Amino acid sequence: MVKGRLILSSFIVIAGLSAVVHLYPSEEKKIKKQFSLLAKWISVEQNENVFTIAYKMKSLGDLFTDKVNLKIPDYNLSGGYSRSDIISYTGRARLPFSQFTLQFYDFQIAFPDSETARVTVTGRITGKWLQGEGLEETRELEWILKKVGKEWLFREMEVAEVLKK
Amino acid sequence: MSVPTKILHQFFFPSLTLGFLIRTGTVALSAYLFFGYMCIPFWVRGASMEPTYMDGQFNFCWRGWYFFSEPKRYDVVTVRFAGTKVMLLKRVVALEGEQVEFRNGKLFVDGGELEEPYIRFPGNWNLPVRQVARGCVYVVGDHRGMPMETHYFGQASKGRIMGGPVW
Repeated sequence: MVKGRLILSSFIVIAGLSAVVHLYPSEEKKIKKQFSLLAKWISVEQNENVFTIAYKMKSLGDLFTDKVNLKIPDYNLSGGYSRSDIISYTGRARLPFSQFTLQFYDFQIAFPDSETARVTVTGRITGKWLQGEGLEETRELEWILKKVGKEWLFREMEVAEVLKK
Repeated sequence: MSVPTKILHQFFFPSLTLGFLIRTGTVALSAYLFFGYMCIPFWVRGASMEPTYMDGQFNFCWRGWYFFSEPKRYDVVTVRFAGTKVMLLKRVVALEGEQVEFRNGKLFVDGGELEEPYIRFPGNWNLPVRQVARGCVYVVGDHRGMPMETHYFGQASKGRIMGGPVW
């Protein structure tokens, strides 16, 4: 009887703690959620229709601040870009792929101040060109996110030089 | 219940005693620390180290290789990005202060051609001379048959070298 009560009360405590963690996510969790949305909206699935693409691109734009600074030398992208620039560039970049996925690993999140987050993360893209060839690239990325209202938005991104030719 | 049946029953349905929980916790924690930080399991993805390491092979990254020594030429090392979940597997070909150059697929270090018996897929890479910076080593994959532009190689900070494969 005592054992049963002990198990039941342990179960209630664990369920309560899980509910609190789920309902009041930490800032780190909110930031990781933004990254998972970024990966979701950038991804290309087979036979996507026009409406899905438009929805994905609109949702992608909502993840960025009005002005975004990028430093991606490999793709000749450096400087300030507007939200619509990001949408149109991503839309064009997705076109030659029949499949495309972006995954993030090893998050290191720091908060220089309460409204800024600096995130160092490994980004891995895998894809398939329309011609059938595969693509696989991994880079270390340094992001700056800004808190606007209750949301964390992407403001800066730089590709770190892990290997320098 | 006969003795063998009792032993089997005890093995599959152990009594949740304090001793059992402590033993289980210790084993789980040790395995987490050992395989999470010391001997990290990984799958080889991609062809850049072929034929030494083939796409799809399984291995472990042993962190202990460079606890008390520096990476040496010809060592195969793992280079980290932001963490250790995804790493690069490359071979050290030049050390700090040395000059590296590719001429028609041949690798030259400080002006002399480097012997590379592990190369089975030679290429025709050309890369002007560059000096390896202080605190860095120059790493390249063994598969030189692929276009230079698609092969990720170059100098890496020693701080990014996490260890090397166990075999």
